[in-house]
Amino acid sequence: MKNKNPKPQHTKSNESTIHFKGTFIAVMLLGVIMVASWFGVYALFLSR
Amino acid sequence: MNLHKYEKIWLIFGIGSLAVFLAVIGFAAFWKGTHPQSHIETIDPQNVEAHEAFKPENLGLREVADGKYTVNIIASAFNYDLGKDENGNRVDTIRVPRGSTVLFQVTTPDVVHGFQIAGTNVNMMVEPGHISRYETVMKNNGEFTIVCNEYCGIGHHLMFGKVEVYD
Ligand SMILES: [Cu+2]
Repeated sequence: MKNKNPKPQHTKSNESTIHFKGTFIAVMLLGVIMVASWFGVYALFLSR
Repeated sequence: MNLHKYEKIWLIFGIGSLAVFLAVIGFAAFWKGTHPQSHIETIDPQNVEAHEAFKPENLGLREVADGKYTVNIIASAFNYDLGKDENGNRVDTIRVPRGSTVLFQVTTPDVVHGFQIAGTNVNMMVEPGHISRYETVMKNNGEFTIVCNEYCGIGHHLMFGKVEVYD
């Protein structure tokens, strides 16, 4: 893909303005799914 | 070190879950008595009958105390020996009242077998030369199938039994 007007890459000065919100939501979602399924299985173990 | 706010939250979440999981393992091991099913207790696989629990007359269900039972089983290709009834016929169903504590003791003279009572927490590997034990409280009534879940040979799918928990 050719980009005639390439946007400047992140430099040290604008690193703090990178948006992490999407990454954070995705990672938290995955973490919550893992912990919830773990407790689901443990609840099944205790109920049997 | 400069950490992003989100990264800090994620790290706290990750380390927190690690601590919670470790606490649950400690709870299971020290309060609930959860431990591996094989206790490194060995038995001569060529002569399992020499062990008190696996003498032909001791196989199957026995009430050891009020509401406490022991079930001794020899798993072999391709059968679970649950003992004989008073008429000398082979037992295919273990019947226990609901809420009873049952200790399953299983060994095998031949190859690795599985011992799972589907729908309960009883699920262990049965290895020649070892005695596998699992004690459980039968909380729910119903019929549960004992299945072999380790491939043991050509008749593996024919290897099953039944546990009935009644009210
Ligand atoms: Cu099998």
